[in-house]
Amino acid sequence: MHNDTILVASIEDSTGKTAVTLALGRLAQERGLRVGYMKPKGTRLQSNVGKTLDEDPMLARELLGLESEMHQMEPIVYSPTFVKGVLRGQENADELGEIVETQFAELAADTDLMLVEGGGTWTTGGMVDLTDADIAERLDAGVLLVANYERANDLDDVAAAAAAFGDRLAGVLFNGVTDAAFDELESEAVPFLEDRGVPVLGVVPRERDLAGVRVGDLASELGAEVVNEGDSESYVERFLVGAMSGDAALRYFRRTKNAAVITGGDRSEIITAALEAPGVTAIILTGGHRPTGAILGKAKKRGVPILLATGDTLSVVDRAEAIVNTGRARDEETISRMQHLLHDHADVDAILGDGGDRDEQDSDEDDGKAVDESDGDAGERNRDDS
Amino acid sequence: MGELSALFAPERIAVVGATEREGSVGRAIMQNLLDAFEGEVVPVNPSKSAVFDLPAVDGVGDADADLAVVVVPPDIAVDVVREAGEAGIDRVVVITAGFGETGSEGATREAELIEVAEAYDIDLVGPNSLGIMSTPVGMNATFGPENAQSGRMSFMSQSGAFITAVLDWANAEGIGFKDVVSLGNKAVLDESDFVEEWGDDPETDVIIGYLEGIDDGQEFIATARKVTRETPIVLVKSGRTDAGAQAASSHTGTIAGSDAAYEAGLEQAGVIRAESVQELFDAARVLENQPLPESDDVAVITNAGGPGVMSTDAIGDSRLSMASFSDETLDAFSESLPAEGNIYNPVDIVGDADNERFRDALDVALGDENVGSVIVLSCPTAVLDYGQLAEDTVELQEEYGKPVAACFMGGNRVAPAAEILSEAGIPNYFDPARAVLGLDALSRFRDITEREYESPTTFDVDRERAGEILSSVEGRTDTRLGVEAMGLLDAYGIPTPDGEIVDSPADAREVAAGITGDVVMKIVSPDILHKSDIGGVKVGVADADVEDAYEDLVSRARNYQPDATIIGVQVQEMVDLDSGVETIVGMNRDPQFGPLLLFGLGGIFVETLEDTTFRVAPVSESEAEAMTREIDAAPLLRGARGRDPADVAGVVETIQRLSQLVTDFPAILELDINPLVATPDGVEAVDVRLTVDPDEL
Repeated sequence: MHNDTILVASIEDSTGKTAVTLALGRLAQERGLRVGYMKPKGTRLQSNVGKTLDEDPMLARELLGLESEMHQMEPIVYSPTFVKGVLRGQENADELGEIVETQFAELAADTDLMLVEGGGTWTTGGMVDLTDADIAERLDAGVLLVANYERANDLDDVAAAAAAFGDRLAGVLFNGVTDAAFDELESEAVPFLEDRGVPVLGVVPRERDLAGVRVGDLASELGAEVVNEGDSESYVERFLVGAMSGDAALRYFRRTKNAAVITGGDRSEIITAALEAPGVTAIILTGGHRPTGAILGKAKKRGVPILLATGDTLSVVDRAEAIVNTGRARDEETISRMQHLLHDHADVDAILGDGGDRDEQDSDEDDGKAVDESDGDAGERNRDDS
Repeated sequence: MGELSALFAPERIAVVGATEREGSVGRAIMQNLLDAFEGEVVPVNPSKSAVFDLPAVDGVGDADADLAVVVVPPDIAVDVVREAGEAGIDRVVVITAGFGETGSEGATREAELIEVAEAYDIDLVGPNSLGIMSTPVGMNATFGPENAQSGRMSFMSQSGAFITAVLDWANAEGIGFKDVVSLGNKAVLDESDFVEEWGDDPETDVIIGYLEGIDDGQEFIATARKVTRETPIVLVKSGRTDAGAQAASSHTGTIAGSDAAYEAGLEQAGVIRAESVQELFDAARVLENQPLPESDDVAVITNAGGPGVMSTDAIGDSRLSMASFSDETLDAFSESLPAEGNIYNPVDIVGDADNERFRDALDVALGDENVGSVIVLSCPTAVLDYGQLAEDTVELQEEYGKPVAACFMGGNRVAPAAEILSEAGIPNYFDPARAVLGLDALSRFRDITEREYESPTTFDVDRERAGEILSSVEGRTDTRLGVEAMGLLDAYGIPTPDGEIVDSPADAREVAAGITGDVVMKIVSPDILHKSDIGGVKVGVADADVEDAYEDLVSRARNYQPDATIIGVQVQEMVDLDSGVETIVGMNRDPQFGPLLLFGLGGIFVETLEDTTFRVAPVSESEAEAMTREIDAAPLLRGARGRDPADVAGVVETIQRLSQLVTDFPAILELDINPLVATPDGVEAVDVRLTVDPDEL
């Protein structure tokens, strides 16, 4: 019988909400809990043979081993068409709320913990009275608010969201915090929030692997032709446009890490410079120009992937930036890294509740995998708690 | 003879893929070999019993050859080379294309080829090569249309097509070669290997080449330095301009490298760099045939005043100078030349000069000990026989053993005389500038043979500390370090002003109190590139104002660039810029030559004036010293216009210490000390920026 619901909401798009939700699901599963997943408002839409679906529920099914039906996990497809329909009065807010509740009840049966992922931002759905705060209310869920932190002003949004969630707010999880912001957040911002009664359940540092996008994923998202395979597992965090002389390009490219160089396929001197720079993990060629065989041979030797994208340099830059910014590196590996990060930097016990804690001690004995992943550290945390 | 000599003197050549099929490479090579090769040729072709009436064998292993030339399709070429290796053939020329030059599949194949060559210790030319030639044994193992005439130049080229063009032209010009190599993809043997071989080859007098890239610049420099003690090397390195660099990288897939690196690297290697193909052969022919001049003073003997002036200009543009004649010479000219002539250099023996007057004047000039070389410059006249003048020139050149260049101007009248001169190794040019270029090359090569290469000085440094400072880049999102890495210079004994980076006003005050006099304060942030542009630098801050200055700097930086990571504020001893010269000492790691050191006028002048000079590190003391003399602003350092001379020795030592630092740490990709302030009392590195490759640490 289901006994607990956590809604994971976020201040902004792309704060790592999906990764956090699924990582929590896996951590709960390790503790022996039966976990369910729902994303009432599908916002990360991907066209799939004519039907528009959110990728996140698909990933949840795969990574949490769920067999629920997609239409249950994602009852409302919050597509542009849907929003237009709302504008034109074709949707009824009460009915929609009830659909969410009905589907939720079915999904929640036979689970110990339901994880509900919020919309792109916590206010998504306001047009039909289904903000994440409304949904928490309807589903009687506790809320974990995922936020970024770069500077103190970011707390404005956190405070506003906290007020909206009220008592349902279990706490805030700061994710993807850069080294530069970390100290200020820990020493000043966290105490500030806690003084105001907003609990902070974790501060997760920015991890390169979670910030960037894998070259292989970038290629498929861009619809680019891979003309040299290379290391498709390496990460791209930023893009550099090559439009200078070869000599200057080499200096420029050397000053960066995990970068993809975007340039015209006919700019061989830029491409060869990019192949020399250790921080360049991929080269994206535009304008439909294919490089010469000699250059492809050199790229093969260096193991650097070369992607041929359609469109001019400017449009490819825009698309590529968008892919990195929405953080599409969502796969098994990403989630398991997030699992480790949450384990090390967040109060997982507090998030999952006491029930989880009890089960963890059981699983320590009978589940070898859990021991591997949460060994000494978990013991320490238990001592801290006592 | 070098290890590769056998490559050019095989006794039995297996042609793998030999065929009679019209238009095929296998046929062309067979024909070229059968044309003149003194040794035996064994066709290898499992589907033929004979090729051109020579019995064919099934596999290269059955050929009992000491050189295999491979022209089979790319998918079986690697297997053929392996078979050759198994059969003990350790010299292979792979003509077959379809390797690294064609894309990723080809690159994989090339990697396999290299593996096989290494496993069997095979000296491998190519792949994607036109082939090789060696005239002493009549070997033309290429598929080009021309065979070379015999000569004493050896020629390598990264372009096979260029070889065919050069040979066609050279045959017409009567220029011969000893060996010719089409380098192809340089999978195993590269330019350094052939330079080394030809340096040891008594039959090669001059090495020439056309290159688009150098695989290992440091190795090339080391090899070429040894070779050029006796054998001149003249190279055309293409890709000098941005457009040329782009074309070169398309062709070979290699980054063209900065031209500054080539210029410096080839100069340090003792290589004479030709700007064009014409220059390449003009220089090479003179180096092949003419003695080296004892001095750079040139005498011009002419029957034509105008061309005399032209050649004087050409000499003025070169490293050569016009000779000043001895009194005896002047007396002799006064006696023999008509009054309207000019006895001073250029010597005008006047338009009515006959062969005898010309010969006498040449004789006098060549006999003058103040004359290093002579240009015979003439225009056709009714009283002058060009053929006779050519013979006299050849005879006197041999008698005196001094270099002579000929400019017999004209067209059809000149041809027979040019033939006589050419046979004696004296090229004839219409344009005096080309004649001067040849003499210039001789003078340069003489200096190269006289060079003494010193070893770089090794200073006592704190390498461990430097390594730790460089490692600090590992936690950063970019690969750059700034003044927070000043300790790196200190660890290598490069003087830096007193100072520290602080992250609070109180600490700033404390540091300032420990420094005599006012201080300079600068914002330290990897994200702010031009500190002074945003008011991120304060000069002459008194101790009492330090805390306010700190707050001000930080808030300016925050306002200007809210996202910038601010490491702190640097509080530094004031350096008196007025009494010193701001210089820059830097390094940029070239993909082919390695660390390229730069020295020049620093501060804000770097970008505007570009008064800089380069050397490939490591440099010796004398090379570092030469750098300080080469910039246009060199007199400023040495006390121009009544200023006290700066501490040049300190600058020289800083260049050497930086040379050691960047040689010790390949992880440093670029580094600029700008400015390095040189005052009469010493030098100080005021600011530093560097880029580090964390993977190399």
